[in-house]
Parts: sequence; C-alpha cells; structure tokens
Amino acid sequence: MSRRTERRGIHVDQSDLLCKKGCGYYGNAAWQGLCSKCWREEYQQVRQKQIQDDWALAEKLQREEEAAYASIQGAQSQSHSAAATSQQPQAHASLTPFSKFEEKKTNEKTRKVTTVKKFFSPSSRTAAKKESQEGKTPSPSIGRDAGFDTDQVSKDFMDFLKNLQKPGRDIHKQCRAFLISLSNKKHDLGADELSECVQDFYQNLADRLIGHFKVSSESVEQVMDQVEKYIMTRLYKSVFCPETTDDEKKDLATQNRIRALHWVTIQMLCVSFDEEIPEVSENVVKAITDIIEMDSKRVPRDKLGCITRCSKHIFSAIRITKKEPASADDFLPALIYIVLKANPPRLQSNIQYITRFCIPSRLMTGEDGYYFTNLCCAAAFIEKLDAQSLNLSPEEFERYMSGQASSRFSSSNGDVTDSASGSDAMPSNPVLVQLNRNLDMLSDLSTRQEALNEAAAKLQADLLSWTENVKREVNDILERYPLQVPSRTVSAIDTNNIENNLPPPLTPEVFAG
Amino acid sequence: MGEPFLRVTAETQDHDASRRRPVQTLRVKMVLLGSSGVGKSSLALRFGKDQFRSTSPTVGCAYLTRMVHLSDVSLRFEIWDTAGQETYHSVTPLYYRGAHTALLVYDISRRETFVRAQLWLKELEKQYIPGSTVIWLIGNKGDLSEDRQVTEQEGRILADERNLFFTETSALSGDQVTELLLMIAHRVNEHMGAQQGGLSEWRGTSCVDLHQNNNIKPFNTCCKM
Repeated sequence: MSRRTERRGIHVDQSDLLCKKGCGYYGNAAWQGLCSKCWREEYQQVRQKQIQDDWALAEKLQREEEAAYASIQGAQSQSHSAAATSQQPQAHASLTPFSKFEEKKTNEKTRKVTTVKKFFSPSSRTAAKKESQEGKTPSPSIGRDAGFDTDQVSKDFMDFLKNLQKPGRDIHKQCRAFLISLSNKKHDLGADELSECVQDFYQNLADRLIGHFKVSSESVEQVMDQVEKYIMTRLYKSVFCPETTDDEKKDLATQNRIRALHWVTIQMLCVSFDEEIPEVSENVVKAITDIIEMDSKRVPRDKLGCITRCSKHIFSAIRITKKEPASADDFLPALIYIVLKANPPRLQSNIQYITRFCIPSRLMTGEDGYYFTNLCCAAAFIEKLDAQSLNLSPEEFERYMSGQASSRFSSSNGDVTDSASGSDAMPSNPVLVQLNRNLDMLSDLSTRQEALNEAAAKLQADLLSWTENVKREVNDILERYPLQVPSRTVSAIDTNNIENNLPPPLTPEVFAG
Repeated sequence: MGEPFLRVTAETQDHDASRRRPVQTLRVKMVLLGSSGVGKSSLALRFGKDQFRSTSPTVGCAYLTRMVHLSDVSLRFEIWDTAGQETYHSVTPLYYRGAHTALLVYDISRRETFVRAQLWLKELEKQYIPGSTVIWLIGNKGDLSEDRQVTEQEGRILADERNLFFTETSALSGDQVTELLLMIAHRVNEHMGAQQGGLSEWRGTSCVDLHQNNNIKPFNTCCKM
C-alpha cells in the first residue's frame, strides 16, 4: 500500500535529476527519483516493514481463529452442562447455527492468511525458507496449502473434534503444534526422518488418548483416522515424493520398465482370467481404474482403499473365471498383470508415501495391509522380472524386450508362446483380440459370400439350361410321337358294343306245369 | 473400514471400558507358506470355516479371519495366504514381516514340497530371532497316506532340529485342523502375551459387542464353503 503512494510520486519528481534525498548523486526514475544507494536503503526499509506488518496480521488472525475455536468449545461444554436439566435438544439446536457461522468465519480467515502470505513471498520456496531462517516467528499457517480440499478437510476435522469435547481440544492443540514444528524443520529433514516424526506423533497421540483421557480403543482408531486425514492432507504437498529422495527417479524407472514389458500376456503370467467373458473383462477394467485412481488420493487410508477395491475386483474376475474362490496363488499373478496393464502413475512414490505416513497397525495387519503387501510384492516382482519368471528362454525374453518379437506375431515365429492359444496368437490387449476376431469373422463372411455368389450364378445357369433341356425334350417327344387324332365314332361305339358283347336278353320261358 | 462415525461421549467411554476389560481381543497375524498345491488355501478355508456366517459374498480365500476364544483372551487370527509358485519366492519376505505365527505347509505325498519347505524355513530364520515367532511345520494331505513320500518321522526330526512345532493334518477331511488352530492359539498367546505389547489389541468396529454373543461375530471378510 505504501509502495503505491510512492509510485504515484514518480511523475512529480521525474524531471528532478538529482537524488531526492539530496545526497548529491543523480537520481533515477526507475528508483523513484533516488540514487541507487538511497533507493536500496529505502526499499529495504519499506519491504522489511511490510513483512513485519504481514506477520503481525497473520498472527492476529491466527489468535482470533483460536479464540473463536475456544469460545465454541466453551459454549458447547456450557450448553452441555445445561443440557443435564433435560433441555439438551433445544440447546443443541440453538447452538448449531452459531457454530456454523463461526466455522465460516474461521475458514475465511484461513484463506485470508494464506493469500496475505502469498502476496509478500512471491511463490518461491527459497524466499519463504530464507525468511524463516532469518529468525522471524513463523506463522502456524505456513504449512497450509490454499485450496478447497484442505479447507474442507479442516472443517470436517473441526466438526469431528467438536463432538469429542475436552480430548478434542487437546487433539486440536497437539495437531497444530505438530504441524508448526514440522513446517519449521521440513526443509532440513530427509523423508525418513519426516516419516519418523509423523509416526512418533501418531504413537504419542494414541498413547496420550488412551492413557490420559481414557478413550476406548475403538474411538482411538476413529480419532487416529481423522488425525491422519487432517495431517496428511496438509503435509501431502511437501512430503509426497520429496526432492530429498530419489522417489521420482524410481517412478520413472518403474514406468519405463512397465512400458517395456507391454508384451507380457495373461498366459505368460499364468493368470486365470478369461477375458472373453464380459463380466471378467469388466472387472479387469474396474480394477485398472481403481489402481490408477490411487494416485489422486491424498490420505494414505484413501490410497489403501483404492488398492483394496482393485483387489476385490480381481478376486471377482478370478472367481467368475474359475468358478471357485481365488487363492493367493491366483491373486498375486493377477495383480501383477493388472499393474502391468494399468501402469499406475507414480507407483513407487505412492508405495513409499503409504509406508512412511500410514498408521502402522493398518499396514502390518488387516485386510488393507494384506492387499498393500501384495501390491508391494507385485512392484518388487516387476522390477526383478526376467525370462525365467515368465517361463521363457533368455533369448526369447531379449527378443521381446528389444521389440523384435511381439506376442502378436509370435505364432509365425513358431515360439513357445503360441501353444498358449490354439486358434491365433493372443495379443495381450483385449481390444486387439476382439479386433482380430472380428477381422477373422469378416474374412470368413466374405469367402462365404463369394461361395454364395458362385452358387447363385451356377443356379441361374442351371435354371436357364434346364428350361432349354425341357423344351428340347418336349420337342423331341413331340416329334417322335406326333399327335394323331382318331376319327370320331363315339355314338356308334356305344350301340355296337352293347350289341356285340352283351349276352342276348333273357327270353321268358314258359313251363308247363 | 467404512463403519459409521461414532459419537464419543463420556458415558459411552466408561461403559465400554468396564465391559471390555474382562476379555481382551488381540489380533494375530498368521502367514501360510508353502509350494503351490500343498493345500494352503484349503487349510485356510478350514481355519475360517465353522465360524463364518456369511455376511458378505465371498470373493477369495487369500485373506481370512477367525476368532479363537481362550479362557482369558480372544485371539483374532488374520490369515494371510501367500503365492506358492517358485517364481514369487523372492518377494515373499514382504508377507511375513510382522507375522506372529508362520505355518510352513508341505504335502506328504510330494517330497519336493518338503524340500521347498526347508528353503522357506531358511528364509524365515534369516528374518527372525528364533523364539519370537511361532513357526509350525505342517505335513498336509494326511488322507493320501498310501502315496506318502515323506514319513512322519522325517517331519518330526526336522521340526525338533529347528525348534519348530509339528503336526500332520488333512485339510480334505478336516482331521487335526481344529486342534491345530487351538494349539497355535495357545502357543501364540504364551509367546506373545509374555512380551508386553507383542500383540496389538484389536479395535473392533463399533457394532461389535464382544459380550452379547460369544459365537457369532460380524467379520470384515469371510469365506463361504
């Protein structure tokens, strides 16, 4: 703001060639009429002041936010104690709109803080880092990323904690303190140390809840889910695939590796999928979608959810194919196949992220943990995959990898793989399979069409010659047996015949007697 | 787990705590190892059977759960089946990380599976301090005793040498299976219960009431025979 007022003065002092400060040197319009030395001093001062103002503002807002939160808590606990005298529903109802209003306010403030911060540190990370190193008191909002998601998650988290009353306030304090302390040191820590910090925090908080607040273990699990969601949504940007690790390099390597393995077929992995059954291919597609979706989630638990959903689809596909529940012997190859087909984005980063920042009990045990372990196995297997693991000879494997051979045309090369399918070399892509089948069908149809045409022509010729033949035959017969009409003696015949053939009429005989 | 969000108030906390105290439910991770075709999955199905009231359609039998009630504690076994094909041997260590008990299964009618079981054992021993995990050697397919290639004596000797527990079972007939599970439960309880914090308490979903019914429990996963 102060900068703007000075800028307005540029035009006034433009003609003045000497430094405005009167130090005797020439001034420059670009430096607002000051000489270089004076300008530097002036600018530093203004900038410094602005930074301080901004920090002060941010802190003030932060304090207000916390005060607002505390007042809600106070109000609620008050209403709760009042509720003991049977007025609970009413008191609660009257409270809700107020707390909603407070939340909205809080949210708005959060956003404001972030924008202010953005304004004075022009989005370069090094600047922010330098400031914090200069010993300025860091605002708690430093670890925040602007964005609707984050706001929404914070809001949900607050809502959740409100129901917990006293422990809720404590959890809120702990989480905030943890986020602040982590945002201070996140630039100095490697990924593993960060992971340790987060894991320690989970552990301490859970212990504290059980030990200090006597929260039942089920509730602890739920609280920890929420805490994980809140913390990891905020930390996600800075700790997912961090620059300090070679996660990104590994991602690229895996991605290229999977691309190079595009020729691997169901048969090579001995997967019991029959993709010709529509239900199976549907499940396969769903599984692929789920595993790809994993990258878009922020919270480790949501990522695990994607893996579990993907696994369930695979199980369905196997069960439909084999008509019996799938065992691990069927499942792992199928998962490997799905990973190869899907080539999930940033697979290694995601695995690392989940391993580092998920609540540990969820990874070691439980259904999610089981499927996650399987995914890790699949990734490890793909990394190490060689000729032997696909039952190919090393030479063949090399040929596939170099692209000289492809499973599409392997039948013409007389390879081992063509024993896998009787009719045609099976391309790995179901769409290609379908395409091939359609082409075959079309060519079959066209040959049949030709045959039909030929037959029709022949029939036509036959019909033509048949009439000819009939005509000729008739003529022949007519010639051979010309029509001879006998003379007409019809009436005479009748009488003659009777006359000649019939016995003479009986004549009455007279017997004397 | 997508259970509905639980509203925690002071009353329910106390209530829960007092009701939960007498019988603890601990979760036990059990890993099944062995070549393919030795009957790991059938064994897993046997373990999971009897108790299952199908609450959701079966998808697979790679991950199953089973409750075992001992006098002072309930164990919730989480049974992890592994892929037995030789190809995947190199990645299996990932499965038995953090397992409380590992079951090494071989087929008494196929000697090579017995040899493979010893390979698994070597791998397992690399990962574990002996005595911290209950390892059980299981000769399966006891119903095929006329085609037997590995004598019971051999199995027992190997188990004694390596400090393992040993049982011959038949997943087909169900012979010895229930007994085996109970024995494992007792051993695990002894081994782990001694070490404080060896087993993490199973935090059941809010709808599970451990005291109302001792037999029927809603499970996350289940298998139907």
